[in-house]
Amino acid sequence: MACNSSACQSNCYRNQDDEATVEQDSLRTNKTDRLAATYGDSGDTHLCFKCKAKERMSSSEEGDDGRFCSDCFRSNLFAKFRQAVNSNAMISPSDKVLVAFSGGPCSRVALQFVHEMQVKAHKNFEASRDRSLHVFGVGVAYIDETSACPIPLHEIDRTIQTIQSVVSSLSPPIKDLHIVQIESVYSSNLSDGREKLKKLLDTVSDVTGKEDLISHLRMLSLQKIAAENGYNRLVLGTCTSRIACHVISSTVKGQGYSLPADIQYVDARWEVPVALPLRDCLAQELNMLCCADGLKTVELTKTSFSGINDLVSSFVALLQEENPSRESTIVRTAGKLTPFNFSRIPDLNESNGVPLATKRRQKRNNFKHVNSLSSETFCAVCNGPLNMSDVQTLRSFEAGQVSSILAGTCCSSCQFQILPKDSISQELLLSLLPPSMVARAMHGSPSNSNSLREKIQEFLLSDDEVES
Amino acid sequence: MEEAGAKPRKGVSCLCCICDNRKAALKRPKTLQQICRECFYEVFEEEIHQVIVKNHLFRPGERIAVGASGGKDSTVLAYVLSELNRRHNYGLDLFLLSVDEGITGYRDDSLETVKRNEIQYGLPLQIVSYKDLYGWTMDEIVKMIGLKNNCTFCGVFRRQALDRGAALLKVDKLATGHNADDMAETVLLNILRGDIARLSRCTAIITGEDGPIPRCKPFKYTYEKEIVMYAYFKKLDYFSTECIYSPNAYRGFAREFIKDLERIRPRAILDIIKSGEDFRISTSTKMPEQGTCERCGYISSQKWCKACVLLEGLNRGLPKLGIGRSRGLDNETEKREMKGRSSDGQTRSIESKQCGTLDF
Amino acid sequence: MQLTLEFGGGLELLCDSVKIHNVSINPENGVGKLVMKDLLSWVRSNLIKERPEMFMKGDTVRPGVLVLVNDCDWELSGQLDTTLEEKDVVVFISTLHGG
Repeated sequence: MACNSSACQSNCYRNQDDEATVEQDSLRTNKTDRLAATYGDSGDTHLCFKCKAKERMSSSEEGDDGRFCSDCFRSNLFAKFRQAVNSNAMISPSDKVLVAFSGGPCSRVALQFVHEMQVKAHKNFEASRDRSLHVFGVGVAYIDETSACPIPLHEIDRTIQTIQSVVSSLSPPIKDLHIVQIESVYSSNLSDGREKLKKLLDTVSDVTGKEDLISHLRMLSLQKIAAENGYNRLVLGTCTSRIACHVISSTVKGQGYSLPADIQYVDARWEVPVALPLRDCLAQELNMLCCADGLKTVELTKTSFSGINDLVSSFVALLQEENPSRESTIVRTAGKLTPFNFSRIPDLNESNGVPLATKRRQKRNNFKHVNSLSSETFCAVCNGPLNMSDVQTLRSFEAGQVSSILAGTCCSSCQFQILPKDSISQELLLSLLPPSMVARAMHGSPSNSNSLREKIQEFLLSDDEVES
Repeated sequence: MEEAGAKPRKGVSCLCCICDNRKAALKRPKTLQQICRECFYEVFEEEIHQVIVKNHLFRPGERIAVGASGGKDSTVLAYVLSELNRRHNYGLDLFLLSVDEGITGYRDDSLETVKRNEIQYGLPLQIVSYKDLYGWTMDEIVKMIGLKNNCTFCGVFRRQALDRGAALLKVDKLATGHNADDMAETVLLNILRGDIARLSRCTAIITGEDGPIPRCKPFKYTYEKEIVMYAYFKKLDYFSTECIYSPNAYRGFAREFIKDLERIRPRAILDIIKSGEDFRISTSTKMPEQGTCERCGYISSQKWCKACVLLEGLNRGLPKLGIGRSRGLDNETEKREMKGRSSDGQTRSIESKQCGTLDF
Repeated sequence: MQLTLEFGGGLELLCDSVKIHNVSINPENGVGKLVMKDLLSWVRSNLIKERPEMFMKGDTVRPGVLVLVNDCDWELSGQLDTTLEEKDVVVFISTLHGG
């Protein structure tokens, strides 16, 4: 082990076998630093590091905004986005893409970049004589979470107005805007759903558990909008900084096994595959772009949960302050964990015209088992892949007693922070979960036996929304 | 309102939830149970016994060295292992193994603690000193190289010193006092540093099985809080002072984060270890070929082992030899380290504990 | 109010390396009642000679410092709200030092 001391500067002893990794890391940063330093020596510290013609955006020494002029900064950021989109086949001409837009800077940039890409494709379409080049469609979704956490009415109104004005002011092709309440995960009857949602959240006592459950429900709402409106891609504005926090908080919650599922560019375990084209951009950069380009954003006053997630965020922020490449390092580490089969757009084969280059890149990203079918079972609540050895321990442990369906189909983390401890409350929770989660529980339950089916039949019948 | 807020204490204290008889003395972080001292001793020792049995840490007849620094973890480990060995007839020959780095005012004091432990627990003690092994004490090394990189020397030398001491004692295994908090911290640090190779093996309860002396960590799942409580209640004799050459070394972000986490969710420490165990890391990453050092015969992937390279530097008056990465450390990196200094002038880093303790 | 305060696990270094302090504290807010919260701020300003941040964080002890009142974990007696009585023994132990 390295000596773990701050006093020994950076030169801790390391085992030779580890050195390579660390070296790469430090070489990379050193190289950039050296370049910057060399350039700085010539006295033109205020000029853009790339085009050497215009002024730098800020005087901060760290981060891309400190080295580039606003034009180069922008094109550099867009290049990261485009690279992510192209090398992971996120968007193809025949696609219909739904962009989740919360009003915040990250999703605002995601929307902007997807929009620009579409405008460009549209221009090409107009220019081409035979009009053979398709243009992918774009829609925007906003999830109203008023029913999950109390937000002042005027704030939500302001947010929705801003969202509407942002979307309507984008140049054509016209984008549909779907503003949907989070309780829509239940059924079409909203007031009924609102009641259920409130009761559901009341059964969860852990603050972090509640917060996480809301984000799982948010994803279900987005999936539902996408599926009902014929979208085949869901684009999120999740950036490096967010992923870094997710890496740490998942680790802290004991979700080490399922973690790689959430942090790749593509997550196709959902009915509508999810894409994270801003995975390589820092929150700081995205904020900067919104400021520089005057992209309108709006954010709700955050209800503080004072749980694990908040503690992790402030920890990561502190680390990032101490070393500006920390967030990227965290994400890179987690990126080295073996991905699941669904971390890529499905049906990637010769026949559907994916460019060769893309395939080559995919290969490089070490997706080895391209053709093997996913054999994973998923947690009923968070949809994380279940570690089978965990599940077996759990089932054998509870074999003797009558346990609720949920206990055997949830990951240990959800069991702890979301599921109530006694089986009666668990049944109550089960009756309050949205149908798609119930369906997942049923699908994942050990025997899929008739008795279990009967047990949950009433919940399935009470809704007309059961996933096939 | 005050009455309702403050829980009863003194005469009306709550009872132990295991024996339902005696007054509860602590709240277990692992289970949140309120238990009395006697039941605490019992569950604390029994859990460690279960870890030992389930993971086959020891085999009957083995000779086991306990890495003893005189600090809380190793003191409690030595005490508990000798208790369990007696109680459950492990059939182990236990020894204390200490390293004398030659740090006046620090190691000489803590070694006094270990010498008392030798008598208290009736375990034979072997001390290996840097002076004997390498011809240099840490005091002399620091005099020569200053307070920079001294922890590198200390870390490299200690690792080897422990192996050499274990060889002298002819033991089969070395047991170290790493606790659950240490393990959780190591998992986080490896994520923060991008060290996937170490991340994949830092949660192993037995390491170095291919090396000269395997090491094991019977306290892998034991909370630091319980170790300290145990030592306090049992009035165990331990030494707690920071190393004079890396004072304030434990002011690390990661350690502080773990303690903050423990406060809102004690279970998080075990969850981090679980994550570390469950990470999907393909084992295809090649381990470097292990050979032996041409000079001293210690395992090494290079011609000379790290300790010999460092030693050569010291003896030739070129202490920078072997320091840092082979391709040299950039000024930039150092500058960055400097930026980490907080307003009160003390270095803050992501890492925490004193050098020696985690390395044991 | 007479109290015995004990510092261990390295915390004694913050108060001139004296482990045991017999102190007399007059509860300030008139009620004649002293709770841990008051004691902590008293200790901070009267006993801790250096690096107070090693001992406290915010208005409570730094995470990783264990507190026992009459050999009982203060997590069982209400932490900051624990009421102290005459002749009580309060122990502070750092878990952060050494290993």
